[in-house]
Amino acid sequence: MILNRKIQPAYQDIKEINIINPTKIKLKNNVVAHFIDAGTQEIVKIDIIFEAGSWSQPTPPIASATNEMLMEGTSTLSSQQIAEKLDYYGAFIQPQPTKDFASLSLFTLKKYLPQTITILEDIVKNPSFPQHELTNFINKKKQQFTIEMVKVSNLARRVFNEQIFGTNHPYGKNVQLEDYDSLTREALFDFHKKHYTPQHGKIIVTGKIDDTVIQTIHQHFGNKDWGTTREREYPQKVSQDEIIKEKIIEKENAKQSAVRMGIRMPTQPHPDFIKLTILNTILGGYFGSRLMKNIREEKGYTYGIGSLLLSLKHEGILLIVSEVGANYAKETVNEIFKEINRLKEEKISKEELTLVKNYMMGDFLRSFDGPFALSESYRSIIDFDLTPGYFNRAIEAIKTITPEEILQLAKQYLVEENFVTTIAGKYE
Amino acid sequence: MIQFEKFTLENGLKVIVHQDTSTPIVAFNLLYNVGSRDEMPNKTGFAHLFEHLMFEGSINIPSFDNALQMAGGENNAFTNNDITNYYITLPKENIETAFWLESDRMFSLDFSEKKLSIQKNVVIEEYNQRYLNQPYGDASLLLRPLAYKVHPYQWPTIGKDISHIKNADLQDVKDFFMHHYAPNNAILSVAGNVTPDEIKTLAKKWFGAIKKREIFKPEIPKEPQQSEPRFMRIERDVPFDAIYKAYHMSAKNHPDYYVADLISDILSNGKSARLYQKLIKEKQLFSDINAYITGDIDEGLFMVAGKLMKGVRIDEGEQAIEHELNKLINDTIDDSEIEKVKNKYESVFQFAHISALNKAMDLAYQELLGDAERINHDVKKFRAVTRQDIQRVASILFHPNNSSTLHYLSKENS
Repeated sequence: MILNRKIQPAYQDIKEINIINPTKIKLKNNVVAHFIDAGTQEIVKIDIIFEAGSWSQPTPPIASATNEMLMEGTSTLSSQQIAEKLDYYGAFIQPQPTKDFASLSLFTLKKYLPQTITILEDIVKNPSFPQHELTNFINKKKQQFTIEMVKVSNLARRVFNEQIFGTNHPYGKNVQLEDYDSLTREALFDFHKKHYTPQHGKIIVTGKIDDTVIQTIHQHFGNKDWGTTREREYPQKVSQDEIIKEKIIEKENAKQSAVRMGIRMPTQPHPDFIKLTILNTILGGYFGSRLMKNIREEKGYTYGIGSLLLSLKHEGILLIVSEVGANYAKETVNEIFKEINRLKEEKISKEELTLVKNYMMGDFLRSFDGPFALSESYRSIIDFDLTPGYFNRAIEAIKTITPEEILQLAKQYLVEENFVTTIAGKYE
Repeated sequence: MIQFEKFTLENGLKVIVHQDTSTPIVAFNLLYNVGSRDEMPNKTGFAHLFEHLMFEGSINIPSFDNALQMAGGENNAFTNNDITNYYITLPKENIETAFWLESDRMFSLDFSEKKLSIQKNVVIEEYNQRYLNQPYGDASLLLRPLAYKVHPYQWPTIGKDISHIKNADLQDVKDFFMHHYAPNNAILSVAGNVTPDEIKTLAKKWFGAIKKREIFKPEIPKEPQQSEPRFMRIERDVPFDAIYKAYHMSAKNHPDYYVADLISDILSNGKSARLYQKLIKEKQLFSDINAYITGDIDEGLFMVAGKLMKGVRIDEGEQAIEHELNKLINDTIDDSEIEKVKNKYESVFQFAHISALNKAMDLAYQELLGDAERINHDVKKFRAVTRQDIQRVASILFHPNNSSTLHYLSKENS
């Protein structure tokens, strides 16, 4: 039999995705812990999440400094002892400060969970922020900051945030070099006391889960013997300065220019958000997207271009990011607007929409595959106090969305006048 | 234990199947035994440029990506000094699409001047983005030709110079394909909820008719032993001085490879490691510093790279590095420190082999090194390294005559 290689073998649409409902347990101190039993390996991952991101900080970079400095000493362990013990058990603790949250993730072999969770507990509850460690931290961070300031991508990111949120907005305020020098132990202690508290903490545990693991979480993080019970203090939501539509940061000798464009969007709980993720995928959310096809595969201006729909707790943005050959920057911005306008003017073909739907379903399947992917996926809804029903609604939206709805969404949300553009490098 | 079955088709294609019933995703990994070490010195960057062209449509299929995305799949590829590796993940029901796509581009590509010219541009922008437009980005481009005088590891995978990419023509591309892309120069590895029988049937159906090709393997010259220290000093528009040191180490199949790997872990794996504790925290000479091995099949490099704190003299930083390296030769190491890096190696191995894709990739690579079964001995070999091995290998490795040093200086400071 001769194979017909021109015809794709029959493939099936993905009909079902096994959305595991995590076991949700409220600990004695009101911390909510989500347990997801997944995978075959004897490993455990624990995320402990606090509302302690840069949104909550009095001045930058207190939130990220507090989060990272948790690793640098407790009332009983020195920085070096913490590192030695974790390394000895082959475990990792990753601090992760973001705009809204600050978390610590422990990756450990299950057989060493009793030892490693003790370290995690100590770090979270009893940090000592030693002065010599803080000084060292500040010096290192200042150097890293100075190196980052040479990169066009970082320059564009900072200025873009200022443009779209305003410099008085907690999301728009950037850390400056001199801010590091004003970090004090007292400020870190104070921030830790206010924000690393059980009543606003959440825990996600994935991997090989059994009763022992659940008991271990109760024992180390479930009691009322830690944290204060004071109410959250959020900074007043600051009024938006006027949006600055375009800024160019000139950099001599730049071989490439960083291009960053974006527009405000609703946040994740908004009813349109899921459908907007589909719109975003079409524009720049996957390798076959319109931006990749146009700017990379047809013109060769860049190694990569993408867009993402980003939801912070209080604001959302659709963000387009690329680094392009310095002499292609202007042309790239024009082409991006062309693609945006095309979404508003032409109905997407059935064929392209089917492709996007199939790709997104496959992506969904991948994001529920294995303990680490699962914990990330659930993190994305737990941060917004959404329930797993959100995933079912998302799947339903992907399956049923029509070309008319895409067109309508594009018209409603992609208003050209509201786009903000930042270029770092050359703009010619 | 990672269990697998393997078989070889008549045309020489090796196939490995690993069953993992815990996942709805199947990983399909196709490794070609060609990397930048197989390039001609006047035509470097070719293996990598070619990887880009593999996505530009094959003889029967105009768009690789469209067809794969229709079946819910995702894919990517990488090229390094030794191999070019393509991988796909997709829902297991749609596995046949992966066979169809990969076999068609092994058959023949749909070459065109236009596609070549666009991908040349994309690769040039990749060159800019990764190497030329980043602070310290060109350090590895400078260090390789210092360390290697005859072996093709002297050029990076992206190419020695942008002009090599610019000058590539369609005939070069076609020749490269015929010389290296063939069933008898490839290893296919599939991991997921699939059976060996099922994969055997599909492999025969889609790859079986592709004829063996004559593989062009240039004789790779062996790098002669270095007989004196090498040194280079450059100034760049960067804020701080940096230092890079490269030492020749064993090939991947040599038992001492694991010893060098373990030494790099003692120096630099994790925050309790020596370079971090001594040179960043205690002496505060560096803002960051790392020791690592390049991981090549032929004799690779043991690297130490660090950025100096402002105000620290570069020779002071260098002496401190050398002091730490010499301690490995002259002092005995505690058992607990050795045990620590061995434990860590084992747990990293476990974390890294959770996903079907990583297992498929590693199985294909281990098969290239001689036998996929090596995957199950990796941790054991690392665990077998002794204190005596460490001292012996460190004294060969860190001999001054074996070193190439790059002082990468900030223009502002000088």
